[in-house]
Amino acid sequence: MFYFPTIKLKKNSEPIVFIHGTGMDHSVWTLPVRYFSRKKRDVLSIDLPGHGKSSGKLISSISGFSDQVFQLLDNNSIKKCSIVGHSMGSLIALEMASSQPHRIKAMSLIGTAFPMQVNDQLLQFAKSDVQKAIDILTFMGYSNQARIGRNKNPGMWMTESTRRLMQRSNKGVIYNDLLACSNFKGGLEKAKKVTAKVQLILGSNDFLTPTRKAVDLIDSFKNPDVKEIVNSGHTLMVEDPNKVLDYLIEAL
Amino acid sequence: MKKPKDLKPSTLSLHAGQRPDSDFGARATPIYQSSSFVFPDTETAAGIFNVERAGHVYSRITNPTNAVLEERISALEGGIGAITTASGQAALVLAITTILEKGSHLIASKSLYGGSHNLLEYTLPRFGIDTTFVDLRKTNDIKKNLKKNTKLIFGETLGNPGLDVLNIPKVSKIAHDNNIPLLVDSTFTTPYLMQPLSLGADLIFHSATKFLSGHGVVIGGLLVDGGKFDWGSSAKFKTLTEPYEGFHDMNFVDEYGPAAYINRARKEGARDFGACMSPHTAFLVLQGIETLSLRMERHIQNTRSIVDFLDSHQSVKSVCYPELDNHPDHKLAKDILPKGCGAVFTFQLEGNKETGKKFIEQLNLFSHLANVGDAKSLVIHPASTTHHRMSNDALKKAGITESTIRLSVGIEDCDDLIEDLDEALTYSTRK
Ligand SMILES: Cc1ncc(COP(=O)(O)O)c(C=O)c1O
Repeated sequence: MFYFPTIKLKKNSEPIVFIHGTGMDHSVWTLPVRYFSRKKRDVLSIDLPGHGKSSGKLISSISGFSDQVFQLLDNNSIKKCSIVGHSMGSLIALEMASSQPHRIKAMSLIGTAFPMQVNDQLLQFAKSDVQKAIDILTFMGYSNQARIGRNKNPGMWMTESTRRLMQRSNKGVIYNDLLACSNFKGGLEKAKKVTAKVQLILGSNDFLTPTRKAVDLIDSFKNPDVKEIVNSGHTLMVEDPNKVLDYLIEAL
Repeated sequence: MKKPKDLKPSTLSLHAGQRPDSDFGARATPIYQSSSFVFPDTETAAGIFNVERAGHVYSRITNPTNAVLEERISALEGGIGAITTASGQAALVLAITTILEKGSHLIASKSLYGGSHNLLEYTLPRFGIDTTFVDLRKTNDIKKNLKKNTKLIFGETLGNPGLDVLNIPKVSKIAHDNNIPLLVDSTFTTPYLMQPLSLGADLIFHSATKFLSGHGVVIGGLLVDGGKFDWGSSAKFKTLTEPYEGFHDMNFVDEYGPAAYINRARKEGARDFGACMSPHTAFLVLQGIETLSLRMERHIQNTRSIVDFLDSHQSVKSVCYPELDNHPDHKLAKDILPKGCGAVFTFQLEGNKETGKKFIEQLNLFSHLANVGDAKSLVIHPASTTHHRMSNDALKKAGITESTIRLSVGIEDCDDLIEDLDEALTYSTRK
């Protein structure tokens, strides 16, 4: 499994593991990865199997992805870590923190909800007309304001950047990932098993995982720290990178 | 489920990249005429320098007014990001130097703006970057001239001066089959007439001096990254795929994925070559872009009427415009430029060099100057100005004769323009 930065991990290190969402790769975490690296923290921003630079077969379930991430940690003799997950990545993080709670110190879930039920029509497009699915995900992935622009990261047009990233995904990835989100079950019970310190970062204008769909999940965690970013949509790391980083610094 | 409703071009021309200013609610884009930006604390400063936080440092590299223009042109072109530059010429230099180095080669169209030709033919070879000029209509010639070190193909969407229409789908296919990006100069077409990225181009630059501004009061350039080209697919683009010692050992492909190119261009080229656009200029270009679609519509309407007028005038030998069926790219133009082939074209007078001079001097509304794409109509006589050093033979090769006239049609009332042309034609060809 490819991860960035491509460094050799120290023995007994307790890295922060970043897990991207549907059809994405490690590059969505460039800014926080640079911060935590500067602060001499070990960081692993992974490309899930079949995504980005990672070879390997796609995995059709959240628990399967979670097993793979644990495998990577085991291969590097890492006993404990913190996790940050966005969207589908947040479900993988939840699965990890509930299946092996003793190994996860802190966790931040960004743009999350449970259930993360994907609209049937969108799933159908993802299977038969992936460009259309990418267009819908891009459109719904941003707040109305962000679609007009004024990126905090100067000179970059947000929606097209996201579209391009998804267009780079291998055949079948988007459908696979959306289906994995939809099929993820028992999230609330899993949340109850989590012992790690939990933070949720949610966008008030998120059309893909609206905040109201995170309420049950929030209620299932013990003492979660909930951060809402006003006016942000689902692509929080692009729409408000500095706030996301500030919150991650608090959580990790 | 929400249906994607992407904003359309005229809306993007007015809104993309800007929301009402958060401090005072200014509806227009404020001009942040400031060389530098205050850091709230030392830790944030370190964070912005290490590009772990978004923000502005110094206006050579980024500026909030310029950023609006960068987003706006990206939105109009369907690109992922852009960089504003001091001139169109600076945008071309930035486009090339971001991925080419000493020992690199590029293939460029034979029909280029003179300034671009000078850069490629005379200046870049001094820095070890060589160009082969090819008629991009002849795909076999492109293929024949590809070398191991060829890293770019470059042409104008509408070539100079014969308005060769660049067959972007065909040429980009050859480029991509060989892991090379296609760069186009889209100055004459603007995103209103054509979106080169959707046809297969990878990078675009504009002289914003021209139609994008329309007012003819600034010099400026824009470089747009389409974000589609896979820089990591070959070992050709080391500036993007290997750690860059000059910027935190950054590997741009690893850190930015689709946005590797534009990030390298900013973090190296904008920083080191320093050909930045002033925020005031960016503001003026934005003012122009707000009315781009209205102006282009009128430019085309007027151009079509004038082309018709000249084409049937007894004192005119021929008119060169791709919408006329005698133009070699007539069919292609219908396909990829259905909204029009720009507002700059040439025609031949019946007569000689003297006729040309007399014609220009007699014009009243058309201004005789070295520019194109102003809202005001412009004219030039290449044989006595831009191309005056050339022999008759060389002129012929460039498709220019002693009686060639180039017009850049503005947005005045067309009847007035036609009357001006008619009078000058009558006067200059009077025996
Ligand atoms: C087609 C074309 N490209 C590039 C340029 C160079 O632009 P600038 O003069 O803004 O440097 C020009 C200027 O005339 C042009 O006509």
